[in-house]
Amino acid sequence: MRQLLNGNEAAAMAARLARVEVLASYPITPAAPAMEQIVRFIAEGKLKAKFIRVESDHSALAAAVGAALAGARPLVITNSQGLAYMSEVLYHASGLRLPIVMAVVNRGLAAPHTRFPDHGDAIAQEASGWVQLFCENNQEVLDTLIQAYRLAEDERVRLPVMVHYESYIQSHTREVVEVPSEEAIDRFLPLYRRPALDVDNPQAVNVVTGPDLYMDYKHQQDKALQGSREVLREIDLAYAGLTGRAWGGTLGVYRLDGAEYIFVTMGSLASTCREAVDMLREGGLPVGLLKIRSFRPFPREEVRSLLRDARAAIVLDKNIVYGSGGALAREVRASLYGLARGPFVYSYIAGLGGRDVTSEDAVRIYKMVEEKVKANLEPLPYEWYGIE
Amino acid sequence: MGCRGCGAAIAVRQAMEALGSRTIIVIPASCMATIGGSGLKTAWRIPFYHSLFECAPAVASGIRAALEVQEIKKINVVSWAGDAGTADIGFQSLTGAAERNEDIIHVCYDNESYMNTGGQAGGTTPFRAWTSDTPSGKPTRHKDMLAIMAAHKPAYLATASIAYPEDFITKLNRAKEIKGFRYIHVLAPCHRGWGIKEEETVEMARLAVECGLWELYEIRAGERRVTVIPERKIPVKEYLLRQQRFRTLSEEDLAFFQAEAGALNG
Repeated sequence: MRQLLNGNEAAAMAARLARVEVLASYPITPAAPAMEQIVRFIAEGKLKAKFIRVESDHSALAAAVGAALAGARPLVITNSQGLAYMSEVLYHASGLRLPIVMAVVNRGLAAPHTRFPDHGDAIAQEASGWVQLFCENNQEVLDTLIQAYRLAEDERVRLPVMVHYESYIQSHTREVVEVPSEEAIDRFLPLYRRPALDVDNPQAVNVVTGPDLYMDYKHQQDKALQGSREVLREIDLAYAGLTGRAWGGTLGVYRLDGAEYIFVTMGSLASTCREAVDMLREGGLPVGLLKIRSFRPFPREEVRSLLRDARAAIVLDKNIVYGSGGALAREVRASLYGLARGPFVYSYIAGLGGRDVTSEDAVRIYKMVEEKVKANLEPLPYEWYGIE
Repeated sequence: MGCRGCGAAIAVRQAMEALGSRTIIVIPASCMATIGGSGLKTAWRIPFYHSLFECAPAVASGIRAALEVQEIKKINVVSWAGDAGTADIGFQSLTGAAERNEDIIHVCYDNESYMNTGGQAGGTTPFRAWTSDTPSGKPTRHKDMLAIMAAHKPAYLATASIAYPEDFITKLNRAKEIKGFRYIHVLAPCHRGWGIKEEETVEMARLAVECGLWELYEIRAGERRVTVIPERKIPVKEYLLRQQRFRTLSEEDLAFFQAEAGALNG
């Protein structure tokens, strides 16, 4: 059934379809409406779940950890300061291999204070061991949140998953979203029970661990995250079989045939770049788009194979790792390492703190890159679009 | 794996007699979180989770929600924290759980300092106590956690002392039968932090009660009831001056403590 939903509403609908059992969330702008909508579903009897009205973001994830340990399906919704605050708990969730799903309504981190979007909050947690999936539009938000549970709970994965969408641009903007039926999602997402805290099978969880064991746990964790790429592809295909919509698993491609210049980006910028690609192609220019859906685990091999024959990759990062550059550009360059002849990778920092990036901006960036390529100018490590 | 004479381990063993096997326990960073096991071994025979420092009551809230949604009944969900995990770094999650009237039992085992990190002062450390970061004696009085938690009007509140195990166990048994947020604060001396001999742990937990500085009572449905009247009443100095941590107490300080404990003949 088609509905007009903003990102928060899509997330709430996904939570309901996924039959989330414990909602542990602390209000934060502009994610709170998603939480409130789920609370309304519970009050109206449309979702059988417990809402824990926690007193802080840190406690929100802590409560979700408790719920997952005791065998229930939890959801946390947060962003920015809340995500940073609960960051300590992220490492318990992943280290304990808990299938927690978190909707993150990406928002720039203070200081200075902003409520507008960028991916800084997500990138700050790239090493947390969570799967990180970025959504291009509200349809993808709904579909990805549902897929996230199946991914997290898969026996081969057993890792927590962040599903990212942007504050205001996505959270508060309504789009047409096809909402699958409850029956379809019930078939896709069977009930899952694997409690670690069970009085009939007592275990001690998280005892003191020495150098003889710690690293082995970490190795298992990394193997699982690396292996989750394949599981995500499987799940996306299964979901496509059910709904007719496939998101490409770890990444999406658009008009890559014969593309010499390829935009590489995540989140809403993918949507923007699609338009720019169409505009440029209309002018006969060989431009395409590689949209990264799964930032963690990063699809290195796929990216390498899709970019290797291009002249230039134009990476748009809606984040900055100070003193280093854009996180996505860094991953792209690493994916291409060792190629005797690979594309130039041009890195642009754009759209921080909600600064608007239009399709005209993307075209402008293309033109700048085209000039540099023609002049055989090697890319700078990174550039700040609109500032330098 | 606690020290010989560890008050925390005694408190847990006493509590387990009441709580039994249908109990899930969450323990934040503290000595007690580490005593129960390491590597691939554990002494725990109930489900145990060593949580992060701040959030044992929040974790317990999540566990209870999970049990409820699965309709799993008759399970004690316990957050068991030291004084830091209760009164200081843990206070936020504690007050939140209390305000929400979460169906959990929070037990604070109080050795009146941060022993797991080497014995620094915390909110419940008494006035003038020597600790590793208050070498001239703590300049402020302790935080009155019982008054603070009583103000939340919990379903049940009680003090306890490891020197009075029957009283402690009775209180836990009572708490088990009550729904809602329950708070029990048990005095569990640490001989290393207090500067007493290993074998004096339980004796010190008794002297605290006998001198009036640690009263044994409970509050149920708004009614406060003293549960143990000690067989004798002693002056506070017989309790305090036995401990190295109070070695710099002046006469004035002793008078302060005596006033806290009430008059000897009161």
